[in-house]
Amino acid sequence: MNILKVSRWTIAAFVLPCLLLYVCLVFVPITVSIYSGMLDWNGIGVSKFIGFANYNKMFTNDAIFWPTVGRTLLLAGFSMLVQLPIALFVAILISRYVRRPSFLVSSYFLPVILSVVVIGQLWKTIYNPASMGGMINQLLIKLGLDSWTHSWLTEPKVAIYSIIIVALWQYLGYHILIQFTGIQNIPADIYEAAKIDGAEGFQADRYITLPMIVPIFKISVVLSFIGSLQSFDLIMVMTGGGPAHTTDVISSHMYNMSFLSMKYGYGSAIASFLVVVCLAATMLVNLLFNRLDKRFS
Amino acid sequence: MKKMSRKVMCTVMAGILAVSLSACGSSGNNGNNSKEGASSPKASTPAASKAASKENITITFQNIYPDQTDPKYGMIRKIVAQYEAEHSNVKIELDSLNTDQQKLKLKTQAASKEVPDITIVNPAAQMQPFIDADLFAPLNEMLGKNGLKDTFQEGILDYYTFNDNVYALPDGNNIALIYYNKAMFAQAGVKVPTTFEEMVEVVKQLKAKGIQPMAIGEKDSWTGSFLFMNVLLRTNGGPGFLKDVVDGKKTFEDPAFTEAVDAFQSLVQAGAFQEGATSFDYNAGENLFKTGKAAMYFMGSWATGGIETSSVGEKGEVGVFKFPTVGGKGNPDEFMLAPGSAFAVSKDSKHLDETLDFLNYFMLNYPKEAFAVKGAVGVAQKVDGDFKAAGYSDMAMEVLGMFKGVKGGDLAFDNTMNPGTAQVHLSSIQNLFVAKKDAAEVAKEHQKGYEENKE
Repeated sequence: MNILKVSRWTIAAFVLPCLLLYVCLVFVPITVSIYSGMLDWNGIGVSKFIGFANYNKMFTNDAIFWPTVGRTLLLAGFSMLVQLPIALFVAILISRYVRRPSFLVSSYFLPVILSVVVIGQLWKTIYNPASMGGMINQLLIKLGLDSWTHSWLTEPKVAIYSIIIVALWQYLGYHILIQFTGIQNIPADIYEAAKIDGAEGFQADRYITLPMIVPIFKISVVLSFIGSLQSFDLIMVMTGGGPAHTTDVISSHMYNMSFLSMKYGYGSAIASFLVVVCLAATMLVNLLFNRLDKRFS
Repeated sequence: MKKMSRKVMCTVMAGILAVSLSACGSSGNNGNNSKEGASSPKASTPAASKAASKENITITFQNIYPDQTDPKYGMIRKIVAQYEAEHSNVKIELDSLNTDQQKLKLKTQAASKEVPDITIVNPAAQMQPFIDADLFAPLNEMLGKNGLKDTFQEGILDYYTFNDNVYALPDGNNIALIYYNKAMFAQAGVKVPTTFEEMVEVVKQLKAKGIQPMAIGEKDSWTGSFLFMNVLLRTNGGPGFLKDVVDGKKTFEDPAFTEAVDAFQSLVQAGAFQEGATSFDYNAGENLFKTGKAAMYFMGSWATGGIETSSVGEKGEVGVFKFPTVGGKGNPDEFMLAPGSAFAVSKDSKHLDETLDFLNYFMLNYPKEAFAVKGAVGVAQKVDGDFKAAGYSDMAMEVLGMFKGVKGGDLAFDNTMNPGTAQVHLSSIQNLFVAKKDAAEVAKEHQKGYEENKE
């Protein structure tokens, strides 16, 4: 600290406002919600302390809870294993072949700034049955693939995938932007040196771009993972968790329990679970990437 | 020296930053306070003395009329403006939200005991938690003033009465019925069905002619439940099934319930509802009927006004019929009853007297103004006036005629059972739209949900 040549008090003065804000807006609510999770409370009337009964019920006796966890992880998995590699691939292509990339990158970014409600409504009409003018189904019929048509958002088996596709589509541009910026920041002289040594094209990507983009890629992974765990708005707009809970995720289940079934305490227990999962996931991702970092440096 | 001044500069800068940040923080707090002021007037008149009669006060009126095309939007503003003109010291602040948002906001406000002066609640079981938490002021005394109590239809206030106290005043009293498109019926050569079995047959014939038989907005799962409960009202041979379950006289595994599930499924399996029904919200479902894309629509009579002014309504193509008997059981004059959302007054209101006075004025003027904007079909109060002469449509007159013949009925599921059980029921019925289920299984699911949520 002494290298900064300022007193500890100065540092404290700088840090304090932010720290206070952070504690009030993050730690206090989390603590409160963990406590509410131990209450039998409808959110309005008298509450009763019941210890870990809510948590116990959540893990052992809630037919909806574990499937919602599964679907949340499914979304996260698709996001990390499908969306991020595509984003990286597109980012590499753009940085290599496109002269003025800013227009392309901005266009990919466009869905991110659109409201989720707009996106949800847009895709709902795309997914509609052919009789209601749904684009995908009409296209399939025109191509003679009638048997491939589905009622995309209402068939229990396909509905969740239909939503996942929209979520991936929306945030693809976001990750392209992040990774494209990462690639731009790799010094050009490294590539030039590699060129002299005979490494060009995808070989250069394999041995230069990939290792050097790891720290940026890590940000993408954390963002997409946490984003998937918290996904809520898109699902509420498109299906509302239906039909019969088949597209519910952890956060929509939490909402249903807290506000529709009026089990505020139980909803808080689910919220606390979500916080713990988010923290654990972030730690796990950090650990993995630290190892990767070590391997490459 | 140089070092010294740098150090001083640093500290000063840090100080400024901290001060400016905390200033931001406190101004943020002020912002919050003024917002709270909007929802509870205690903060908006901090210094004014309570005793002064001409003190300026603000009453917050949370309501569910945000839609500018809805006649009620203009109506509520008109009555408020009149009242403000007569009481120069009172300002009524309208907090207009759509139904779902309002429910959510009220629950959040109730959790922190900051209920607006006037708010909206739903009858019976949905009101119960708020009553248990003792949030509302009893309205008995206020009802006695200016003869307000006598303007309400007989029995309607019972749904808002707990321990002999009336806690809310309804804006509507509706029944469920089926709207149908006469032109489409003629095109397919079908008649208005008098039994449920005929109705399924009509569905098949309409379908064969390429006409979408029924529309529903099943993303909002109460719509399907409302229809299902009407089937149950018939198979049970009369009202009171859910009450019998609560009283322990019946279970969901009773034959009346499984018959209702089977009958309901026969309708779904005949292809009555549009493809992808569970992704249509209430408005999208209703619009299919309003734009002439579906031949029948089951809904509460509150939809009458909207259908009247829609494209099919203006052509005079819409008729109505009562929900038919199922398997020869039930009485078509028994309806699904839908006592409307109702105005309640916060017990902790800082201006309780003024708020009660305003609500009294509002409710006294409500039927008259509603009648004037053609919104008086299904109002909870007695309406003076000749509907026919005022230009109400034939369909509206038919609906009004039905009201006269009502011989009791049931409330919707979520007005009868606690919220936890209701959610199990809603998702179970929604599932019937996408999968064929064994009726016994559906019954078991209900019974399990009911027992788990019993208090």
